[in-house]
Amino acid sequence: MKELKIGTSWVRGVVGDALTPELIVNFACAFGTWCDGGAVVIGRDTRRSSATLRAATIAGLLSTGCEVIDMGVCPSPVLSFAVRELGADGGISITGSHNDARWNALKFIGPDGALLNAVKSEEVIDLYHGSSFLLAPWDKIKPVAADNRVLERYLEHLLVALDVELIRARHFRVAVDFCNGACAPIAARFLERLGCTLLPVNEELTGEFPHPPAPSVANMRQLASILRWLPADIGAAINVDGDRIGLVTSGGVALSEEYTLPLAAGIRLKRRPGPVATNLSTSSMIEVVARELGQKVIRTSVGESHVIDEGLAEGAVLAGEGSGGVAALPSTMTFDALLTLGFILEQMALCGESLASLVDRLPRYVMRKRQMGCQPNLIYKVLDRFRVRYADQSPNCTDGVRVAWSDAWLHVRASNTEPLLRIIVEADAAERADSILDDAMTFAHRITYGHGG
Amino acid sequence: MPRPMPPKIGVSGVRGIVGESLTPQLVTSFAAAFGNYCGAGPILIGTDSRPSREMVKQAAIAGLLSVGCTPVDAGIVPLPALMLHVRQAGAFGAIFVSASHNPIEWNALKFIGSDGIVLRPNQSAELADLYHQGVYSRVGAQDIADGRVEDSTVARHRDAVLRVINADAIRSRKFKVAVDCCNGAASLASPAFLRALGCEVIELNTRLDRSFPHNPEPLPENIVQLCELVKQTGAHVGFAQDADADRLAVVNECGEPLGEDCTVALAVDHWLSRRKGPIVVSASTSRMVDDIAARHGVPVFRTRVGEIHVVERMLECGAEIGGEGNGGVILREVNPCRDSFIGMALLLEALAEEGVSVSELRARIPKYAMVRDTLLCPARDIAPLLRLLQNLYRNQKLDFTDGVKVLWPDRWLHARPSNTELIIRIIAEAPTEPEARTLLLEALECLSPST
Repeated sequence: MKELKIGTSWVRGVVGDALTPELIVNFACAFGTWCDGGAVVIGRDTRRSSATLRAATIAGLLSTGCEVIDMGVCPSPVLSFAVRELGADGGISITGSHNDARWNALKFIGPDGALLNAVKSEEVIDLYHGSSFLLAPWDKIKPVAADNRVLERYLEHLLVALDVELIRARHFRVAVDFCNGACAPIAARFLERLGCTLLPVNEELTGEFPHPPAPSVANMRQLASILRWLPADIGAAINVDGDRIGLVTSGGVALSEEYTLPLAAGIRLKRRPGPVATNLSTSSMIEVVARELGQKVIRTSVGESHVIDEGLAEGAVLAGEGSGGVAALPSTMTFDALLTLGFILEQMALCGESLASLVDRLPRYVMRKRQMGCQPNLIYKVLDRFRVRYADQSPNCTDGVRVAWSDAWLHVRASNTEPLLRIIVEADAAERADSILDDAMTFAHRITYGHGG
Repeated sequence: MPRPMPPKIGVSGVRGIVGESLTPQLVTSFAAAFGNYCGAGPILIGTDSRPSREMVKQAAIAGLLSVGCTPVDAGIVPLPALMLHVRQAGAFGAIFVSASHNPIEWNALKFIGSDGIVLRPNQSAELADLYHQGVYSRVGAQDIADGRVEDSTVARHRDAVLRVINADAIRSRKFKVAVDCCNGAASLASPAFLRALGCEVIELNTRLDRSFPHNPEPLPENIVQLCELVKQTGAHVGFAQDADADRLAVVNECGEPLGEDCTVALAVDHWLSRRKGPIVVSASTSRMVDDIAARHGVPVFRTRVGEIHVVERMLECGAEIGGEGNGGVILREVNPCRDSFIGMALLLEALAEEGVSVSELRARIPKYAMVRDTLLCPARDIAPLLRLLQNLYRNQKLDFTDGVKVLWPDRWLHARPSNTELIIRIIAEAPTEPEARTLLLEALECLSPST
């Protein structure tokens, strides 16, 4: 099977037989046509294959008459900012983001700096399938430009959202694992402005990933073990394109990336009251934090573009996911790991507490995540049976099925990226979580392997 | 709306019109096919100065990277410099992005093998077959190479040319030289090259940021500007290069174009005064070369029209010098390809060593008039029409190297199918223009069924 996925706001696949340069040229042509041959900002992460995708993307965009502004190796949030700042018609971030090194992807950014929403993505995909692209004649082919001024303005834009003096006064020592991704140079400048000492880990721009880039507990083992002997106030793992962040306490305890959003919400909602948007699979911790600050939580389908798009529509001031991605709407239109780190440093400074004690104040839930291989043609059958099964509990069917009880919830959905069924449970107690999970897994198995149900 | 012309996939590479047939999709796939054909190693890539160069180059780089090759970006360089660099660097091959003498809306990929020579016809056919099958061996993310940039191509080539000529003799004369680079690939390289030869350089159309000021083919009607400049500045000589800098036309000190067929004649005449040896030229090249060869007592070998045929024959018979009547001079010692820099160097050396002017040099070679015409012709009619011509001249000396060539002691007539279009090209050369035109009309009458 070709490992290629075309989803809302991105096309991703395994480099080689699935993600070919021809496919990338076609998508770049489709996007260039969608931008009507205007200005498009591009940037890439440090993966080696990103250079191939870059060349194909530039060729495709130029052929439609677009002016290409190449930001070089550049985190996705910087690119999002650059699109707005330069008044461009769109942006393409070349990054496999949290996927492992075999993968790569194009993320499409609209003129507002946000990932394309479902409607706009569909327009681009229609153009791609129609294969009828703008073709600029020779004298309308524009050159490739670079930009080195946006970066400084981006830093200023981050600092405006934070209480810089408060953070500076604390002289935090911050250990950051960059996974040899795109974020290291800008992070050094950012933390310097915040008066912090950066203790960098895996900060080379080689694109050789020392571990998978998603900032999960398992992938933060190296950072956690370093923090056990290296004195630092906080540890952070940032994925290769700088949108997601996971945290490690000064004692070397790696936190689930589910903690990132509620920790950032603690300060953001204090400074700027308003609703929070998150997806259906994210921990209920965010509801507790929002309730304490008198704010509501909007639940959306899984995926950055859904969370941001619906968050904007509902006037949310914060959008995020349990994967460690957080955006401060409406000033940042995309998940931004550095800004998230800034919020958490500010919260630590404001409360005068360590990360571990901030975590202690959050409610304790038990979350279980499982996945089950499932052929695409069966996935929707399984989801349908779950809907029928829980019909009298009025499940939320926006993205798969989500059922809530007073002490727990269950979310079963199709993965956006692989032929998998994802089953997520969260409960007040471990036994409760395990029993819901076992029950759901058994049920899903029965349907998949044809033993009734 | 007229139907867009399809891309031309042939022995000279892939050519098309930007915005119509030369799409980035086509270029990416062809580059992937070429990468597979050459193997996963370094592949040089250079371009001329056309505004579409970056689009085409990036598409080619993407295709090369996807099959595990290492693209080495040489930037804007003359074609002969890139070809030399392939051999020097031990690259697996090279792609040159240029539609050569075609107008600016065109662009093309020219494929060069690891020997620094354009792909042979059989190799081109194999590459086209690979492309048409459309299955390339892509590599996974872990095997994608890091591309690099290379800026030594032009200097390496300059050094190679300077090594084979008497640069000191040229420097001591402090020539005043006007050069028209057509804002093409030689725009930076040529002025530097001529300055290295101690020349005072008057640059014309050496702006990479401008489009072609005239059709890049160095025909007399396209280089009026240069002739005027030579006259105004009192330069010793004027040189015109095409967009990829493989062809050269010469303007004498009076501002008169010698005609691009003179370039190879002048170069050969000078080279033979140094070293005797056989000459190889294409079937349509002027008789001037035969007269020169007779004077020096060396044989002339004639080949089918097309650079690769001349090069292959030179390698076979050990000829050191050769070329084509379109202004392409080949000196094997430097590079087995047409090279306008070699043309300039040999001509300046002749002027310096012999202490004569360009018009005096020209006066040593007999004058002929060459006239040309083309006949639109469906593919199925080409062979029968050529047989008609063969029959008409059955009592003359005939040569079938490429189409039909009829030879008399002081003139010739040549009709051949074009390599790139469905036309028959007819060329006649005779001591005077009326005589040449008579031959041409005779042939046209024979070939046109309506008259």
